Parts: sequence; C-alpha cells; structure tokens
Amino acid sequence: MRGLALVVLAALLVVPVARASERHPALSELEGEVMCPVCGTTLDQSNSPAAQQIKRVIASRIAAGDTKSQIKNRLVTEYGDAILAAPEHKGFGLLAWWLPIVGILAAAVIVGAGAWRWSRAREREPDGPRLDPALERRLDDELSRWDT
Amino acid sequence: MARPARLAAQGLAVALVVGLLALLGWRVANDSSKGVSQALKDGEHPTAPAFDLPRLDGRGRIDLASLRGKKPIVLDFWASWCIPCIRESKRLEAARRKEYGDRVAFIGVNTKDFSDDARKWQKKHGITYPSVHDGSGSVLTEWGGLPIPRIFFVARSGKVVGELIVEEDLPRYLRQIASS
Repeated sequence: MRGLALVVLAALLVVPVARASERHPALSELEGEVMCPVCGTTLDQSNSPAAQQIKRVIASRIAAGDTKSQIKNRLVTEYGDAILAAPEHKGFGLLAWWLPIVGILAAAVIVGAGAWRWSRAREREPDGPRLDPALERRLDDELSRWDT
Repeated sequence: MARPARLAAQGLAVALVVGLLALLGWRVANDSSKGVSQALKDGEHPTAPAFDLPRLDGRGRIDLASLRGKKPIVLDFWASWCIPCIRESKRLEAARRKEYGDRVAFIGVNTKDFSDDARKWQKKHGITYPSVHDGSGSVLTEWGGLPIPRIFFVARSGKVVGELIVEEDLPRYLRQIASS
C-alpha cells in the first residue's frame, strides 16, 4: 500500500515537469534529443557547422514560443525521422520501444519454461535397478547389526 | 517432446540458419550500396541513380530520370553550412552563364539542410540554377555521401562520366558531356 502511494506521488511529480518541458523546452534538453545530420552524434556532442545551424534554428524557435513537439516536427519535416535521437512514442516508432521489451519477456518465458521442464524431468528419473529381495534382506540385517 | 516434433523443430532451426546465410550471401554478392563516387573510382561509369525531389523554390519537382536522353547534367550536392560549397557553386553558376546554360542542365541537390537557410544562401551567393531539397541525405548517400561539395557530370545517355576532384576537372568534364 505504501509502495503504491509512493508510485502515485512520483507520477504526480513527473507529469507537471514533462508538461512544462513540452511547453517551454530548453535548448540543452533538445540538443540531447536531436542528431547532428553529418556527425552521427547528438547536437550536444557536436560543434560542426551543420550542428551549429540546427542549434541556431532551435534557439530561434524556442524564442518564438514553439513547443517541443512543434520544433521536433519541423526538424523531421526538413531532415526526416533520422534527425531524432530516439524514435517517437507513437505510430511505427512504438515498435522500436516495445519490441525489445517483448523480446526480453519472451526469452524469459522460454528460459523459465525450459528450466521447469528440466527440473520436472529430473524428479521423474528412476532410482536405478531394484535390489534382489534376498540381498535387500541381508543388507537390512547387516545395517541393524551396526546400529546395535 | 515427441521424436517427430523434435525432429521438425530441429529441421526448422537448421532451415532458418541456412536461409539467413543464403540471404547474407545474396546481399554481399549484390551489394549496390557502394555509391556512384566509389564506382567511378573503380573505373565504372554507372547509370545515374534516379531521384524525384521537390524544388527548393517550390516550383514543382525535378525527376532526374526524365532528363535521360535529353540533356547532359551537372549535379551539385551542397548545403548552406558548407563553406567550400560557396566557391564551387559559384564556379558552376559562372560556367552556366558564360557557356553551357543552353546545352547542359545544372541541378543543385541541397542536402542535410534547412530549406529556408538554403534559399537565403542561393540568393546571397547569386546561384540561379534550380536545386532540389534532399533533407535526409538519402540521395547524397546513393551518390557517395559526405563530405560535400560533391559535383558529378552525367552524359546525355544517363551514364555518370566523372566527379569533380581537382579544379581542372570542371572545364574538361563540361566539354565532354556537352558534346555527348
């Protein structure tokens, strides 16, 4: 119960921050989410002329009051989807987010099922050939003599 | 697992591996991704890869394949953030105005760039030949990728004759394709 309350509280704190970031994005934040088209790194790791140009445009759009989504949409219109460092959480992009998780879960299920089958098979293994009744009786006698 | 089912599963796994290996082999054997620039370096003269892109000035599109057999082409890959592109584009503009404007089609491919900045750049540097916008750089990749500027010369037949490497290549290739 206490854990659930903490999760709800954390969600309540995160949602307003995310909304503020959407409405008033910071240049530094977007620089980490947008790729430099000629260097293969995010903008914050590049000082190439192409990266500087995009940083200038982002700064001007922030000053003009654009939201984060508007700025990203503008960049995608000009450069294509590859300009974003991570696929968007919608449409086909969702596949890129969920496929690894589904893959990991599927692998866990397969490994778990395999382990379960293996352990069950071991339980069912026969105990080996039974002793001859006469020999078993003699063994019991010997053992009881040791006990006394 | 029953023996037939196990055999079927093993057969399927082997078939999958063999299929993937065959796919890999086919991909390697039919690799067409080396780009026009590399093909030229290897002594080949490939047919110019087609593209159909919107014009920067908003006046429709340019379909490169539609020019095949009609006019030789000079293709100039540029961007407004590219400093050496200024000089090369100005040289092409001068050649077009001076001698080749009516015989050769000069086409710019503005790549990995903002179209607004690209239009301002053209105006600022007096570049008047039409350009198309290749924002994602996918067309540039087919022709050889970065760095830019990259300038290619395409004969009337559609075959790529050469790429500008040294300064003297410009008049030489222009003469060659103009007479093609």
